[in-house]
Amino acid sequence: MRYAIVGNGVAGINAANTLRHRDESASISLVSSERDHFFSRTALMYVACGQLSEACVEPYERDYYEKMGFTRVRERASGIDAANHQLIFDSGNRLEYDRLLLACGSVAVAPPWPGSDIGGVGHFVTWDDLTWLRREMTQAKRAVVVGGGLIGIEVCEVLIQAGIETHFLIREKKFWPIALSAAESDVVVPHMKHHGCHVHLGTEMAEAVATNGRLSSVRLSDGSQLDCDLLVVAIGVRPQTDWLRETGIALDDRGGIIVDDQLKTNLRDVYAAGDCSSVVWFNGVQRPEQLWYTSRDQGVVAGHNMVGDAREYRRGTFYNSAKFFDIEYTTAGLVNFHVEGEVDWWQHEPGTYYTTRITYLPAENNRVIGFNGLGRRWDHSILVQWIEERRTLEWMLRHLGEANFDEEFMPRFAATVPVEGGR
Amino acid sequence: MQSGLMNTFQSGIKTRNWAAWAIAIALFAFYILIYFDYALGILGPVAERLGMGIWTLYGLMYTIAMIIGGIYFLHKHGNSRYHQVRTIVVVLVQIIFAFSIPLVMEIFDSKGFILSLFWPLKIEYFYPQNIFTYPLTLVLYAFLSFVIGVPLLTYFYGKRWYCSWVCGCGGLAETAGDPFRHLSDRKAKAWKFEQWSIHLVMFAAFATTAMVIINWSLHHTSPDGQWITQYPLFDSIATTVQKGYQTVVVAMLSGVIGVGLYPLMGTRVWCRFFCPLAAILGIIQKLGRFRITVKPDMCISCGNCSTYCEMGIDVRQYAQNNQSFKRAACVGCGMCAHVCPRGVLRLENKADLRESADKERRPIVDM
Repeated sequence: MRYAIVGNGVAGINAANTLRHRDESASISLVSSERDHFFSRTALMYVACGQLSEACVEPYERDYYEKMGFTRVRERASGIDAANHQLIFDSGNRLEYDRLLLACGSVAVAPPWPGSDIGGVGHFVTWDDLTWLRREMTQAKRAVVVGGGLIGIEVCEVLIQAGIETHFLIREKKFWPIALSAAESDVVVPHMKHHGCHVHLGTEMAEAVATNGRLSSVRLSDGSQLDCDLLVVAIGVRPQTDWLRETGIALDDRGGIIVDDQLKTNLRDVYAAGDCSSVVWFNGVQRPEQLWYTSRDQGVVAGHNMVGDAREYRRGTFYNSAKFFDIEYTTAGLVNFHVEGEVDWWQHEPGTYYTTRITYLPAENNRVIGFNGLGRRWDHSILVQWIEERRTLEWMLRHLGEANFDEEFMPRFAATVPVEGGR
Repeated sequence: MQSGLMNTFQSGIKTRNWAAWAIAIALFAFYILIYFDYALGILGPVAERLGMGIWTLYGLMYTIAMIIGGIYFLHKHGNSRYHQVRTIVVVLVQIIFAFSIPLVMEIFDSKGFILSLFWPLKIEYFYPQNIFTYPLTLVLYAFLSFVIGVPLLTYFYGKRWYCSWVCGCGGLAETAGDPFRHLSDRKAKAWKFEQWSIHLVMFAAFATTAMVIINWSLHHTSPDGQWITQYPLFDSIATTVQKGYQTVVVAMLSGVIGVGLYPLMGTRVWCRFFCPLAAILGIIQKLGRFRITVKPDMCISCGNCSTYCEMGIDVRQYAQNNQSFKRAACVGCGMCAHVCPRGVLRLENKADLRESADKERRPIVDM
């Protein structure tokens, strides 16, 4: 069997591992123009600031591909000839396959305003972006970061650490409203400011202005001007599927490759996994899941299906984690989904940035549907289990200590805010 | 939580530049002057002029290095309660038990005894000709702490109670050595080497001690007051082995190489590859309660845990495979858990499974 995998990221390498595990003699080719070694993309910020070296973010030792018998193809895929089972490259070369996995990930969303292509403007998604940012950081004095999401805040942290005056433009009135409440944003934003980040809420970009071909300032939606010599655009990522437009593969309206529950595309013997694939979410919506561990799981499931194991990919209760400077963040279940009749139980421990929010439904005997925690560490797997077991708010508050995952000697969590209505 | 670690790889001295080599060479030279002063006689006179013995001078310098290093460490990682408590304890143990009490004992004209060291790290504590010069209480302390205290504490809390909370070697690594913790080799080959080397030294410690004890028991006092034996050949072999262990393991491996390699191979070269006590504690740890629990499906494979593990454990391999784990080498410094940006790891020694985050072992609790 000849397996070809486009993409050397977490979905691709996990599919390759699974294939090798299931088929010792298979020919497995990993196609990537980005880098020869699998690396943790989520750790790019740590390389940028010098907390990790480039080698540190490679999860496997350097001889891994040889040891596992993976062939690396340093090419850029540009199309598929599905009828002839061939992958087509930019160079004109072709690679024959019996089964093909598309695990080509995401690209940064290009900004809608003028001036996105001038020197000093870039993203922070790929290995090349890392190289670019590190070079820019050596001379930048004042930077602007656009986009109030996770990559944005990570870039801010890196730039501030390097001693660069950093302005963080957030379109919304609060930070990351898709996941945080107003009160949670009001914990995170002062923390960012405390670290020296100039946060501009409710501020949009209008234009990046160049002088002699290099960025010199940005113009904002309110007409004001901000001088800067570095602009990082982090307004999101989208599936890297432009190269597949002509192949007849089915894409959703976000550009994600539509797959069935065995991660098969509409093309024969072609599968998709990771950021580029569009799967059915827990709530029935078809869209990409751009998360590290879902990509890994999809890679494994795709690998099994490619050898014929018939595994289904099922996404359970949502969970995730992140970190805003020093504040760790854990979420599980339906948070900010605006479920009808939902109520929040909320506790902010005085003198700390530890907050806990539990979303529940009074109409269903106070059944808990979601959890958001800042500052403290929580074992999401226990929270997910409780949400799936349809536990009540009262029960959850009694047992919450068991889901706590803080370091030893941390003051223990105690729910002190009463449940409304005293049930 | 790890702002103290940012810039690590931008610092030359932390990434084996010329200054790191210079420090390594200076440390090598210093330790040779200390351990081989009986032959070289350079530092001894200096210490004498300062009014103290060479080992008191060394102890004083060591303690000062740990105090300054401890302050530096807390400045870097003091946002963690675990690190606060652990660092204060390990520095206080050094000041009180390793330095002050032996010094006071010597002032009162008895031999100094370090309560925070145990056989076989302090191998002469089981040498009869040495230990029987102490009062009976200390003889019992040395024996019972090794036979009962050390194994029990290790069974319940892991070797960390000693290696990163009490031990002076570990204490220096955890404080003054902190800037170099990421230099430990985390390759699988290094782990293989470690498994061989540390158990070899452990065997050497057992064998040497056994020979010294047997040789001692074969001696008796002759009518004219001489300490003699009927087995002169065995006596000369045992004495040679004892001297060899002292030179190779104690002087070279724990001193010269152990500390000298800090800036080049990380801070735990001695503890990880050679310390015979660590080897014994590691075996007990594998049988005991202490473990590192991994929160499932949350690891992003960033590598902070593996990078900052001073024992060179590739923690990431466990974390990304959702495996809670026990490793003989782990000294429970807690840095892997501390630096994890997703809070995936936790040090645990609880037996109560209701309290444990070890999900597989957690029973369904009452409704």
